[in-house]
Amino acid sequence: MVRKWLKDTNWSLVVAMTALSIIGIIFIRSASYRDPAEYDVKQMVWASAGLVVFFLVPFVGYRRLLSVSYLLYVISLVLLVWVMVAGHTRLGAQRWIGIGPIIIQPSEFAKIATIMTLANFLGSHHSWEKKNSIILIALVLAFVPQILIMRQPDLGSSLLFVPMVIVLLFLWGIPYRYMIGAAVLGLSAVPILWSILKEYQKKRILVFLNPNLDPLGAGYTALQSKIAVGSGGLFGKGLLHGTQSQLQFVPEHHTDFIFCVLGEEWGYLGAALLLFCYAALFNAIFEVIGQTTDQRAKLLAAGILTVLFSQVMINVGMSIGLLPITGLTLPLISYGGSSFIMTALALGLVLSIHKERSIF
Amino acid sequence: MRFLILKIAMFTGLLVLALALFIVQVWNGSYYRTLGDKNRIRLIPMEAPRGRVFDRNHRALATNRPSYDVVATPEDVHRDEYPRLSKLLGLTEAAIKQRMSASREYPFAPAVIEEDVSQEIAFKIEERRPELPGVSIRVSGRRFYPYQQTASHLIGFIGKINSAEYEKLHENQLLYGMNSLVGRMGLEKVYDEKLRGERGGRQIEVNARGNMVRLLSEKTPVPGEDLTMTIDLEFQKKIMDLIQGQHAAVAVLDLDTDELLALASSPSYDPNVFVSPGASKERLAFLKDEASPLVDRGVSSAYPPGSVFKLVTALAGLETGKITPSTTFHCTGLFHLTPNSVPRKCWFARGHGDMNVYEALERSCNVFFYSVGKRLSPDDIAEYARMLGLGEAMRLETSNIAPGLVPDSAWKKKRLKEKWYQGETLSFAIGQGYLLTSPVQILRMTSIIAKDGEIVEPHLIRWPEGEGEAPHEHKRLSIKKANFEIVKQGMFQVVQSDYGTGQLGRVDFGHMAAKTGTAQAPPLNSHAWMTGFFPYEHPKLAFAVFVEHGGSGGIAGARIVKGMLETWRDMYGQKVA
Repeated sequence: MVRKWLKDTNWSLVVAMTALSIIGIIFIRSASYRDPAEYDVKQMVWASAGLVVFFLVPFVGYRRLLSVSYLLYVISLVLLVWVMVAGHTRLGAQRWIGIGPIIIQPSEFAKIATIMTLANFLGSHHSWEKKNSIILIALVLAFVPQILIMRQPDLGSSLLFVPMVIVLLFLWGIPYRYMIGAAVLGLSAVPILWSILKEYQKKRILVFLNPNLDPLGAGYTALQSKIAVGSGGLFGKGLLHGTQSQLQFVPEHHTDFIFCVLGEEWGYLGAALLLFCYAALFNAIFEVIGQTTDQRAKLLAAGILTVLFSQVMINVGMSIGLLPITGLTLPLISYGGSSFIMTALALGLVLSIHKERSIF
Repeated sequence: MRFLILKIAMFTGLLVLALALFIVQVWNGSYYRTLGDKNRIRLIPMEAPRGRVFDRNHRALATNRPSYDVVATPEDVHRDEYPRLSKLLGLTEAAIKQRMSASREYPFAPAVIEEDVSQEIAFKIEERRPELPGVSIRVSGRRFYPYQQTASHLIGFIGKINSAEYEKLHENQLLYGMNSLVGRMGLEKVYDEKLRGERGGRQIEVNARGNMVRLLSEKTPVPGEDLTMTIDLEFQKKIMDLIQGQHAAVAVLDLDTDELLALASSPSYDPNVFVSPGASKERLAFLKDEASPLVDRGVSSAYPPGSVFKLVTALAGLETGKITPSTTFHCTGLFHLTPNSVPRKCWFARGHGDMNVYEALERSCNVFFYSVGKRLSPDDIAEYARMLGLGEAMRLETSNIAPGLVPDSAWKKKRLKEKWYQGETLSFAIGQGYLLTSPVQILRMTSIIAKDGEIVEPHLIRWPEGEGEAPHEHKRLSIKKANFEIVKQGMFQVVQSDYGTGQLGRVDFGHMAAKTGTAQAPPLNSHAWMTGFFPYEHPKLAFAVFVEHGGSGGIAGARIVKGMLETWRDMYGQKVA
């Protein structure tokens, strides 16, 4: 029994995930050890819960979960509507709902549910069916939760649906000419998208393009986070010695801007270690994809991979001024229960695909 | 194949990220290290100069004067500076420390130690800067209201944002900071966003002593927009002199442009005390004063209009056909609704005799209007009152506009859970009972009558071309012009006839048409009203005068109307004649 479990578990995935979680807890501690809220202790609880979820998912099996994906999708939409009507407002956005003492962020759940639904839907149709309606339905499936999340407003999370649906359609086998057409169309739709954005979101983008526009607001955060990361140098200032992040020059430094703390205190070596851990994690997922023959499983794992990858790129990119500031967590590192457990659940699905790779 | 492309793309992405990090952290690391080392980046918010407010002749009602504030960056201030500062500023060390620990918008942002210090102290501190690291003098614009109490209800004043407002508004950091000033009343409040402009700020690099080494980035503040009012401040000032010592309001409208020439309310207050840091005692005095000088009696409160309302009753009776110009009622001084009911009195106990509508307006005969009221339903009267703009908040560019109250049977059922009694219709017909109107509403009503039913929208602000509301079309009320003519003829007689109740307001340079009102306000003295237009033949001005507990409209009201018109003649007379 135990031997079978050992054999069924993808250990490179487990090691990468564990390493990232530990780095996360270390820096949550560093970012908030002055804060009486004890985020580090709470994160340990979340991480433990996440690990349990991670190891439990294979026992349920991804196939069974995929078969109820439409139900999960509908539930996630209901939660998204609910959060709009009765959600908690924090920092000007309505993203959380409370169920008893637990506060959850439905957008995290919606992300997974949408990946599962898209994988299930696209995986059960072949691209040589050449039916445009399939592509259209897939787009609508991604678009509905995306709009709801954008309305919260949570621009960062809603943006993740874009690479998600693009990559899934690409892997499914959408003709290249469609992709080129969509790219052209997308570029021409920029002005329309611009008009949908909220005033402060527009401002963030403008300020990103020209930080001088708002030296007191977003331009300030961008500069300070860049200073934090840059001042880390090669070796960093040492744990708990990051002056920038410790003195609260950078906001949200235990959640969205946690990379600043790492970059400042562990320097380039720490940042490279972090990227290496992510690379190992992504590589493990690619291996799992390569070993399964189930098209739905391939798409499911690839969708999860894409979202994690995009989050890493955007989060680190914004910390060093490569991308505009959007509120996105660094997967497995940033503080947050919903975020961690949903990531663990997603990786649990990957583990389940690995376990069931030999079932034909 | 496609999975391979994805794999290559993703690992390339991670490599690019690693490279970018290398550039930021290793290649440029030492640069960011110096910036970060001693937190050398300071943020200095720069407030935008607030827009000014002018009257129609470009006299400033609200402007800014330079003020010197002593500010300090607490992180840079050394312990031995406190005794020196305390001596220079005449403050206790504890007070200075307390002000320095007030919450600030950014780390290292300067805290204000003392606002609006004298030039002498400012220079002294500047001279001693080497001994006072972290302390500096900031020159800022301080609000100043040169016309003091003349139009304080219109301009209002500004005050420091409170934390709840800041929480709500600070999303837009360019507009609102933690210590920003926001409009609290009047135009300052209504046009706060226009007047305030956009804050700017600079990111500067400083050395260890807190002095600027380099400017990293700067956004210059966008000054607020100026506003021009339609009011003539000198005219208003003279009107304020006329009503000084009384609880009164005077509103004057230019009928050619629908612009308010004056909107005065007494008692008044000096808005400067709300923007001067030292004047807290005076502020408190204004807030506690039982005469409530902060209330704009012209716009923000509503009173029973009394006989002034008979204009509405007359129009309603004529337009519904319940009376004609030749209808007469006999006034014995008493009116019986039914043979058994308690008789109601006319103000003239001996009785006016036979009255038609002209004479009834001229002498303000209650019995005539009781008789008209008896023929009308309360909902008829309410309908015409609302057509003439009563009972609803007026559109006017100022804050706290009182909607007044026009009662009808549905209102009474809803609010008082009682049916409407016919006796109440009688009170309603002579402007008593539940009815409440503000002086500007009465002014608007009179203006509409003066223009034979053309809808008048008074305004206070002159917008530059293309801004503000589009000029409204000259819509008319669906009341016959002939009926307005009848009412206007009655108003003419009020002043020009020797029996008229408003003859004390008569002036010798033209014919005036008006209506007086003496509204009962037991247990105190009655409210005095007078409203009208001038000259009768080609109306140029409309006015409403209200004196709270001022007694008779024909005396207290008429005296002010006459004084106001004479002032107007002195100031504008050449243009009229």
